[in-house]
Amino acid sequence: MNTLFCTLAQSGWPEPMPTGTLFHYLVISAAMFVIGLIGFVTRRNLIIMFLCTELMFQAAGLSLIAFSRFHLNHTGETFVIFVLTVAAAEAALALALVVLLFRRKESLDAERWAELRG
Amino acid sequence: MVELALANLASPALLYAGCALGAIGIALALPRKGVSPQIVGALIAGAGLGAMLLAIGIVNPRVLPNYHFYIFGFIALGASLRVITHPRPVYAALYFILTILASAGLYVLMSAEFMAFALIIVYAGAILITYLFVIMLATETPTADAVEALSEYDRYSREPVLGSITGLVLLAGLTTLIGRGVGEMQPASIYTNADRIEWLPRKVEQSLRRAGLMLPDEHIARGEPAANGAPGPLLISLNPGPDGAIVGSVTVAYGQAGTKVISSDDPNWPADLGISNPEGVGFTLLADHPGGIEVAGVILLMAMLGAVVLARRKVQLDEDARRDLMARRQSEQLARGGVNEPFAANTPLAPSTLSGNWEGGAA
Repeated sequence: MNTLFCTLAQSGWPEPMPTGTLFHYLVISAAMFVIGLIGFVTRRNLIIMFLCTELMFQAAGLSLIAFSRFHLNHTGETFVIFVLTVAAAEAALALALVVLLFRRKESLDAERWAELRG
Repeated sequence: MVELALANLASPALLYAGCALGAIGIALALPRKGVSPQIVGALIAGAGLGAMLLAIGIVNPRVLPNYHFYIFGFIALGASLRVITHPRPVYAALYFILTILASAGLYVLMSAEFMAFALIIVYAGAILITYLFVIMLATETPTADAVEALSEYDRYSREPVLGSITGLVLLAGLTTLIGRGVGEMQPASIYTNADRIEWLPRKVEQSLRRAGLMLPDEHIARGEPAANGAPGPLLISLNPGPDGAIVGSVTVAYGQAGTKVISSDDPNWPADLGISNPEGVGFTLLADHPGGIEVAGVILLMAMLGAVVLARRKVQLDEDARRDLMARRQSEQLARGGVNEPFAANTPLAPSTLSGNWEGGAA
């Protein structure tokens, strides 16, 4: 726990982050993005598909913060604020659409809308 | 050439083996028809992640992050695996909250405290609650607790093997390219926002008073007043130094006209003087990207209006769903052994059962 509190206490002046450490965080972020992608293409429930897009947003945010820490400026963190904004807007609209689709078909199955393929 | 650049950061063979293990594990863990060995799949995927992190760790052991990184990383990825494999949407959303909390832990480790707490409040507190509400609104009520009672689209996933192969290819490509690009980068050593401490004279003043460098009757001096009578600039000259400390000087006025200069060479100079994370984020947001805030406001307003308009619209069940509903009712009635009036496909149903009763006043 000590290291965690040290990180918090010295937040104003963190040490430079070595490139290898940055790569650790980026691999975690890439893995999270890929998990979200796999979920998006394999799950059939519309709500879970949107949850998977949020997972991908989250992975992108993680790598933005990692680069922000690596370059020791706050632009990446600022961008995460905008990612949060877009995620909130997307959640509101997408969930309203999901409710509409559910009311029309009484089902959340994405394959029930296969006729949209044209 | 590509392998060479990646090899500076990780052992490529072990990294790709980890990717493959992870993909196999995810393919096994996804719900499917027949046997779906979820626990075995999750263990294999965890081993894959372990192999990937090991591949990075053995090449350059000096740059390992501290052990909290591994704890939070495994929790985040394990919970996100559960998001995509759990058959029940409510639990998937709850596991997503766990992912958010673990990512907030990773943010704190990267000394982004403000974003960590904003993430918890906005994501876990607002967005995910919206998801939970919609899941509760838009789910057929399960008749029993067993997984078999769930609807078919929750129990089986579509093409888990193909999806995992896609993910494997993408992950291998991503790590290769990231390793190649990141391998050429040099870490920064000076905070970009550090000189903005000059914008916070009260913080400097309080810090100096606490260190005993400024006495109660002293204040930070101002320069020559401008021609139009505006007060002159505060005489603070602070810059980021080589090892992360602030160097420079502050001119302090006392009495009638006396001034003295406090410089960072003073042994009592406060070592913790600097821009904190929320201050830095605030300066970057408001001073460097003020237009972005306006755009974000417009996006949120539009999303709110759009959601209200969409949710108030009245929707009719379409033909397929109507037929399904008829068939379901008929079979239920037969099962109960009650009077079975034959339903025709074009019998009008009571509107309250068809369109739900949560439409508000949108008639």
